[in-house]
Amino acid sequence: MAQFWYYVFTLVFFLFDYFILAMGLNIQYGETGVMNFAYIGFVAIGSYVTGAVSLPNSVGTGQQYIFGWNIPFPFNLIMGGIAAMLLAVVVAFIALRRLRTDYLAMVLFALSFVLYDIINNYPRLFNGADGLYNVAEPMTGVFHMSTNSFVIFFSLVTAAISLILWAVMSRITRSPLGRTFRAIRDDADVASALGKGVFRYQLTSMLIGSFFAGIGGGLIIQFGGSFNPSAWLPGETFVVFAVIIVGGVGNNVGLLVGALLVETLLIHLPAFLPDIPGRPGLIEYFSAMVIGIVLMAMLWFRPQGMLPERVRKFPAPAGELLNRDGHSVVAPTPVEAVATTNSAAQVADAHEGNDA
Amino acid sequence: MRVTQFWLSFGFGLVTASVLSIAAVGLSLQFGITNYINFAYGDFMALGAYLTYAFNAEIFHVNIWFALIVGSLLMGLIAVALNRFLLSPFARRFDKTFYVLIVTFGLSLIMLNLTYSIWGPNVRSYNMKIEVDMHIGPFLLNKYEIIIMIISVVTMLLIHLMLKTTRLGKSMRAMSDNTTLAMTSGIDTKRITTITWFLSGTMAGLAGSVLGITEGNLTPAAGELFLFVIFAAVIVGGVGSIYGAMAGGVLIGLATEVSAAFINAAYKLDVAFVILILTLLFRPSGLFARSGRA
Repeated sequence: MAQFWYYVFTLVFFLFDYFILAMGLNIQYGETGVMNFAYIGFVAIGSYVTGAVSLPNSVGTGQQYIFGWNIPFPFNLIMGGIAAMLLAVVVAFIALRRLRTDYLAMVLFALSFVLYDIINNYPRLFNGADGLYNVAEPMTGVFHMSTNSFVIFFSLVTAAISLILWAVMSRITRSPLGRTFRAIRDDADVASALGKGVFRYQLTSMLIGSFFAGIGGGLIIQFGGSFNPSAWLPGETFVVFAVIIVGGVGNNVGLLVGALLVETLLIHLPAFLPDIPGRPGLIEYFSAMVIGIVLMAMLWFRPQGMLPERVRKFPAPAGELLNRDGHSVVAPTPVEAVATTNSAAQVADAHEGNDA
Repeated sequence: MRVTQFWLSFGFGLVTASVLSIAAVGLSLQFGITNYINFAYGDFMALGAYLTYAFNAEIFHVNIWFALIVGSLLMGLIAVALNRFLLSPFARRFDKTFYVLIVTFGLSLIMLNLTYSIWGPNVRSYNMKIEVDMHIGPFLLNKYEIIIMIISVVTMLLIHLMLKTTRLGKSMRAMSDNTTLAMTSGIDTKRITTITWFLSGTMAGLAGSVLGITEGNLTPAAGELFLFVIFAAVIVGGVGSIYGAMAGGVLIGLATEVSAAFINAAYKLDVAFVILILTLLFRPSGLFARSGRA
């Protein structure tokens, strides 16, 4: 029985962890239109830094790594998030500012491999190909938990963190900042013509998304106690894209649905199936192929996802006069009304309103 | 000592450059015509290499060079089918390149795992005689490596002749400049696209197979791991430019191998990324870009 709950809560953990990862990628791609094909690299940096700062000094542990500061949970997690943001700054200034979409996709894809290569081949950074392990389970000392109860406890902690981050993300997507992001996604030239500094907003969105990636990655190493390079081949980025596309690009609740369908049902559930005799790994290959096929079918038959982005509608702002043909005419409006309704992004953006 | 080492690695660099040029030109041809990047290209290479392996070591046990030709052509046909039934419907239906990019990304996942499930994760190698290395001038190369260089040069010449002298090549250049204009001047763009995918797939299969020969082993992930080096070659040369891709392939191939003589060889492919970043910083449209592009 304990075994059963262990499995169930492992699934719960991955569900909420991928919800966080999906929110991070969604603000970059779904809201702002930055195709971050190196996303898993940001996750990995978050994971490694979280692990490396929480481990004790590397001397005598049989592993090699930098940091080793014994920093407790959740501060290590936040440091992981910040490390991912630092990577985002570097990437944004080199690649994002200069490149159009497909170049950017190629460069980020290449970056993902190079990060992998360097960490794999340079053990002094994060223990090379073996990866970090023996990362202490947080707070077990305080509550005297066994491994089983830790899994339950930590999946609930992750759920709580993801809900807090969700609240933050909804605030962001509903705010004028979020509207500007969507204006840039829909047409960067129009947004730019309306006086929005496109690069500055893209950078902001990259930073927010990377923080989420770092937190999500940090939770993975805290949950499992280890992280190694083979877990974050660039193909993993595709899984996060699959989550947001299946769930619904630009819809935060949809992301949770996407995480449930893709991550929980297609990736982690098949992992519990027994191996086919003589062909180890076959189930894993099949579930990866199924993800690819599901994603293509989804794009073809329901490109907006399970829960589509809500079409945002605003009533005509108070104080604005309408002509008989429905077009507004210039009317004297109170100063406050100008401040709240005259945002350039609102003009550029077709759909307005509240996000989930 | 240093000088000998330099020339030795320069020789290896020429081999890598040969492989890389074939791969980069194949990718660039397709990009020029269809205007989106094929993220599954690395898996095209791997599948082509395994098809060659199947003919060479599993079913017919034919000579490696014959298997290579058959495997590559078969990969070309697979590429045509994939374009016809998967990629081109998506490209026609959706305006934003994102959708097709994600589809090629998904295709990459499917093809990689298909290769894994057919041939398994174990390292395979072609069935061929082991040749001794020969001293040729300052280089140290074996028979296979020399043949690969010849294959590469011949392929480049054929592509050049095709582009410059045949009606097909002319149509391809027209389409890569402006598809709509090419269509209105009576070029059968659908046919050209099909032929381009065939060429691209064949060259992917060829590149994957010769990569397997030079490396001495095959793994399903080999193509994917090599893809970013191809991207580097293509971007350094200027995306969509065929001659740029050739030059980029040679430059990156030489740079990675020569650098391996001076730094830890584990990082040699990352040198390609450094060159890529430098190119982006100082000449973002590539060294040989056509004006008005990028």
